[in-house]
Amino acid sequence: MQKRKSGVVDFLELGANAFVSGLVAAIALSVIALALSTSARAATPNGQQTGSLLVRTADSADYNVAPKLETEVAIRVTGMVARTRLTQFFENPADDPVEGVYVFPLPESAAIDHLWLRVGDRVIEGRIQEKEEARRAYAEAKRQGRKAALMEQQRPNLFTNAIAHIGAKERVQVTIEYQQALVYDGGRYRLRFPLAVTPRYVASAADVTAIPDVPKTDEALGDDGPVVNPAYGDGCGGPTNAVDIAVVIDSGVPIDGVVSSYHDIQVEKESGNRTVVYLTKAQEEADHDFELTWSVSAGGAPQAALFTEKGKDAEYGLVMVMPPQATPADLKAITAIPREMILVIDTSGSMTGDSITQAKAAVIQALDALTPRDRFNVLEFNSVTRTFSKVTLDASADNVARAKQWVASLEANGGTEMAPALMFALDGGGTPGVLRQVIFMTDGGVGNEEALFRLIAARLGGSRLFTVGIGSAPNGHFMTRAAELGRGTYTYIGDVREVGEKMTRLFAKLQAPVLQDVSIRWADGSAVETFPPLVPDLYLGEPIVVTAAASDFSRTLIVSGTRGNQPWSVALTPAMKSDGEDASGVGALWARAKIASLMDRITRGGDTAALRPAVLKVALDHHLVSPYTSLVAVDVTPTATGDAKIALVKASLPRGYVGALPQTDTPAALQLLLGMLALGCALVVLRVGRA
Amino acid sequence: MRQRLLWRLALAAALAAAGLSQIASAAWIHAKAILAQRLIASAWQDARHGASRRPWPWADMRPIARMQVRSRGIDLYVFDSASPRALAFGPGHVTGTALPASWGNSVIVAHRDTHFAFLRTLAANDEIEVESRDGGHAIYRVREVAIVHKEDTRVLDDADSAQLTLITCYPFDAIRPGTALRYTVVAARIA
Repeated sequence: MQKRKSGVVDFLELGANAFVSGLVAAIALSVIALALSTSARAATPNGQQTGSLLVRTADSADYNVAPKLETEVAIRVTGMVARTRLTQFFENPADDPVEGVYVFPLPESAAIDHLWLRVGDRVIEGRIQEKEEARRAYAEAKRQGRKAALMEQQRPNLFTNAIAHIGAKERVQVTIEYQQALVYDGGRYRLRFPLAVTPRYVASAADVTAIPDVPKTDEALGDDGPVVNPAYGDGCGGPTNAVDIAVVIDSGVPIDGVVSSYHDIQVEKESGNRTVVYLTKAQEEADHDFELTWSVSAGGAPQAALFTEKGKDAEYGLVMVMPPQATPADLKAITAIPREMILVIDTSGSMTGDSITQAKAAVIQALDALTPRDRFNVLEFNSVTRTFSKVTLDASADNVARAKQWVASLEANGGTEMAPALMFALDGGGTPGVLRQVIFMTDGGVGNEEALFRLIAARLGGSRLFTVGIGSAPNGHFMTRAAELGRGTYTYIGDVREVGEKMTRLFAKLQAPVLQDVSIRWADGSAVETFPPLVPDLYLGEPIVVTAAASDFSRTLIVSGTRGNQPWSVALTPAMKSDGEDASGVGALWARAKIASLMDRITRGGDTAALRPAVLKVALDHHLVSPYTSLVAVDVTPTATGDAKIALVKASLPRGYVGALPQTDTPAALQLLLGMLALGCALVVLRVGRA
Repeated sequence: MRQRLLWRLALAAALAAAGLSQIASAAWIHAKAILAQRLIASAWQDARHGASRRPWPWADMRPIARMQVRSRGIDLYVFDSASPRALAFGPGHVTGTALPASWGNSVIVAHRDTHFAFLRTLAANDEIEVESRDGGHAIYRVREVAIVHKEDTRVLDDADSAQLTLITCYPFDAIRPGTALRYTVVAARIA
């Protein structure tokens, strides 16, 4: 009978047979595998993790429900100081309590001194504590089911808020306050509030797998895809992270020309010197930085100012001096100096889209500004560094045209390996009589800032490094410090329409420093300890801004420097002092600047063990968040029981930070299993055939 | 009849080929992991003498540290990159975290089924030795073991002490890749 069956039927039968055997084997193996992996999951690894802050033994499926977040920002500007109150409302939509963790940016110079946790109608004020101590206090409170909030510094402009136990359907409110000095440049005050974080390339391997033309090896592909940034919202269904911003400017003098660079705003003049600004659209998506600029009405522009605040054991001062404008004769002398300009453009994956367009436009404009006396070169870097030319070239019309063509052909992809590009651009040398200027265009999406700072400090030589921040949320900390160490300036371009104007301003500055060798002394010649300790070279339109502490500021201060080849100085008399509300917060700014200067010494190879206690003392005395101190607020009474699951609060999407830990499993086991299975099937096929 | 036999043989051969290729691919993952570490050993000797050499000409990473757990017979070379490509060949240092054998939190990741399969055997007080490229030498003692979610990047945060964090995927025996959990071993420097 069987033998008369057609080949096709037989084949079908055979296939079905093999399929069934395979299926049975697969099911059996899967059950074993599942049993194995479940038993591994249930076991307490070496029985040690209980009570440790690091432990989160929640089932991965439960991580999906993230608390919702709304942010309110109220900024009050008095004199040269802006005080910001930032309130984050966390709402847990789930039916279980969660622990919320939120990573967010703040301005790089922010001095954070207050944190409040509001639960219902109770408000708990945060205390400043040594970092490890604060972590312990937070972990202890969490374990006991009490509410707690912990604010830690990750980078000088990147912070983490952890909130233990946001109950089911509960709304918890965390408020922080900080101050910052306003930036004054080119006759305008500028206030920036960062709203998003560009992913930091090196902090995780995530970006490598997210880049299209990096070959994906089999190891990289898990079945939930390569590591992406799932802590970012998808932007569908309204803002992921809605933000509201209001700014009150109490300038003391009439101001005008209030402009928001990247958001629609409403401006209301309440009284003569008081202006209120708010976003036209309440609940903007927090996906690009907010920037507000304004100028002081004609005649009111400051030439020199001194703000002071009395502290416990000292008086703190904020000094601002505007150097004199360059005369036409100065400018003529300056433009006669030949230049060597090295343009560096970041073409890493994070620059994709508008950013690379802006950067290319800026480079092309820079090339156009070269004169035949100048020399130049252009480099691009992503995972590797490429140069337009091996050596610097004369800026002949032909060379410039070829360079422009080369720049136009650049595309963004790959990693952000910045060190080799910096090494090439900063060769440690410098030709006397030639201005060697390196213009570095990047979003600063790097996580190895400290290593790069050390590199810049070591190799700068006679060059000057000018950073140009590109994109909706460049890493301001990197840009500012790199320019400081590079003795240049930092220019921020947030929109392709700004390229022309901002680059023109930068080139005006590039001509040469207006003032060098700045020193600040008392009238009797004794030294004043200022922070930052060294005033950098000043370029066109930039003021001197330093903080200082003294027993009191009742003596005259002399600010001096070299302008061209001429000595220059100005006196600040006690009569110019403004204190009271105008100067509240100057003490915190002094402390923040002192911490930055101490951390800078660590960057430059200072002894951490010796400098750390100094940082700690300033931070604790002035109640500031620092690399070594955190703010922690702990409720008294327990409000939750059991272990809360951790939930990452989603940040708005412009290619976000946070990232994820690298994926470290291979499909080897799965492949082995499938391979065995297929071999098994092959055997079955052969045996069935024989039967 | 003859045709049936041919069909059968063809099917069996196809299945066997598919099976063998899968097994070969799995074996290749393990072979790479073992072979690469041998090649690095010689690059490491050069690195110790100042030359930062690539372990093989087309490698896009370099060894930056050697990690030993004598009690487990473990001797590994750590790359300067935690990219998936580097991880196929050896443990990788997460750039941006402190360098091995220096102040701060130094983070090293590797695959759970190759280089870091031994992590499951580590317990409190086990000692890990690390040698850095510039000849520095450090001994760490395991302080805690924890399982975290892959988004919980706080384990990458810098620490206010010299510590070593080893991370791999969890659970160790999972068949399917792509887990969301990570096994972390935190060790504090003792010498």
